[in-house]
Amino acid sequence: MQNPHVYALSNNSLLFDASHLSANDTLSIQNKIWSLASHCSTSGSFIDVVPAMNSLTLYLKQEIELAKWHEELLGIWNNIKPNEFVAKHHKIKMHYNGADLNYVANFHNLSIDDVINLHSEARYAVLFLGFLPGFAYLNGLNEHLYTPRRSEPRLKVPKGSVAIGAEQTAIYPSDSPGGWHIIGHTDTPLFDAKLKKPCLIQPGDTLEFIPISVGK
Amino acid sequence: MIKVIKSGPLLTIQDFGRSGYRHLGVSQSGSLDPYAQTIANCLLNNDKNAAVLEVTVGMCELEFECNTVIALFGADLNATLDEKPIYPGWTYNVKQKQVLKFSTGRAGLRAYIAVKGGIQSSVIMNSRATDLNAGFGGLNGKSLIAGDNIKITPYQSEFTQCGALMPPKRKIVRVYPSPYAELFSKQIINGFTQSSFKVSHNSNRMGVRLQSDDYSLTHSHSLPSLAVSPGSIQLPPNGEPIVLLNDAQTTGGYPLLGTVIEADLHQFAQYKPLDTIEFEYVTFEQALKAKQKLKGHLNQLSIALKSRGLGNNGGR
Repeated sequence: MQNPHVYALSNNSLLFDASHLSANDTLSIQNKIWSLASHCSTSGSFIDVVPAMNSLTLYLKQEIELAKWHEELLGIWNNIKPNEFVAKHHKIKMHYNGADLNYVANFHNLSIDDVINLHSEARYAVLFLGFLPGFAYLNGLNEHLYTPRRSEPRLKVPKGSVAIGAEQTAIYPSDSPGGWHIIGHTDTPLFDAKLKKPCLIQPGDTLEFIPISVGK
Repeated sequence: MIKVIKSGPLLTIQDFGRSGYRHLGVSQSGSLDPYAQTIANCLLNNDKNAAVLEVTVGMCELEFECNTVIALFGADLNATLDEKPIYPGWTYNVKQKQVLKFSTGRAGLRAYIAVKGGIQSSVIMNSRATDLNAGFGGLNGKSLIAGDNIKITPYQSEFTQCGALMPPKRKIVRVYPSPYAELFSKQIINGFTQSSFKVSHNSNRMGVRLQSDDYSLTHSHSLPSLAVSPGSIQLPPNGEPIVLLNDAQTTGGYPLLGTVIEADLHQFAQYKPLDTIEFEYVTFEQALKAKQKLKGHLNQLSIALKSRGLGNNGGR
């Protein structure tokens, strides 16, 4: 069995890379990444613990701990038990009324109802966050909804938009340019910098979309 | 209060920025030259993390609505106080209604203004820094514009002028080794250190983009998204490296050529379009020594300023 690679990126950051392990098992690898992230966050040794796609980057408070963590990470990884990570589940109330809903249905020869069913039946895993504060990369889009990105990105995708881009679906936590197809929107705030807990969704959480209205 | 009469291309409130939120996609933001901020604050006996103004290019004009003391650091953008020239590296007493103007400079891009007691904007996620992309922090999450009022605490006493030298600049930027040395061909890794790069016009607070005519660094590798941070050097397939800075996103999919060492990263605050940059790889020990040297320089400065302060107590 191959092992993940551990690289020192600088005197106070480490990259734990498991992305080469198995292309068809990304979700169970990601599950271990969340467990490792949670272990590292609890240790108090790090300023930031940042999961990405089958990797984890750790930013140390003290350079002196670099060697210790460099050495220990693999052992911690190998001792993580399956299902050690307990996810929080979110139900996101959603209006399926996006400007591109018809386009997505037509593209796949589906009815609007089919698109809504396929999109809202799935249970999505938050792989990691990035791009914008509160922007979650979700795993679990039904492959019948995979849709190539728009040829021309919109200059402004409104906050709360739920969209599909290639093999992914996501919620825009704030206004942003974007090339994904907007299929609806949610009124649930995902990110508010002024709150004590600014971000609703954490890496490793799961979520589903609950349809509450269709059309305008 | 400081009133913005003219903002110039980009004028923002910054401090050391945000940490502890990168897993939520929140960028660091903050002063691109944290050492300039630190020294400017030390000169005023402020907390090192007190918020400052970051002036980009210049062309800005500020009117003080109260008495205070300021310290100027970073690029020399030909500043004047009521039309009299003032210089980076020094403190100046400022009276109500005086006007601070920047034209622009030949060398360097960003100047820092610290004020006694620091800029008093609201603290969001433990920082006053402006996050321009996400639109929070600073004043309403935006770059400052004409008519904005920046809150400061008045300071009435005379402050004895003091100054500090800038840390010396390095011609060749030092870089930690690439974790992907095996993925890249030798030609790319060697080409990176043997090329001389020009700073692209397309550079900003998110990153400095580089172009070179010497070697082609094009490749066809793409990676699953990984975390990136200020100092990460991305190499997109077009072969034009990007040195990520404070406003960069927290994750990215381009392979990394390495990471700029802590002691040299602040220099990227001052590179202008068409400036040339060269890189060399160094060991972790060399990087640590360089950081300790810079830290030593700052410690000496703050000791010197403190002992001066003690001898000068009557002046307060």
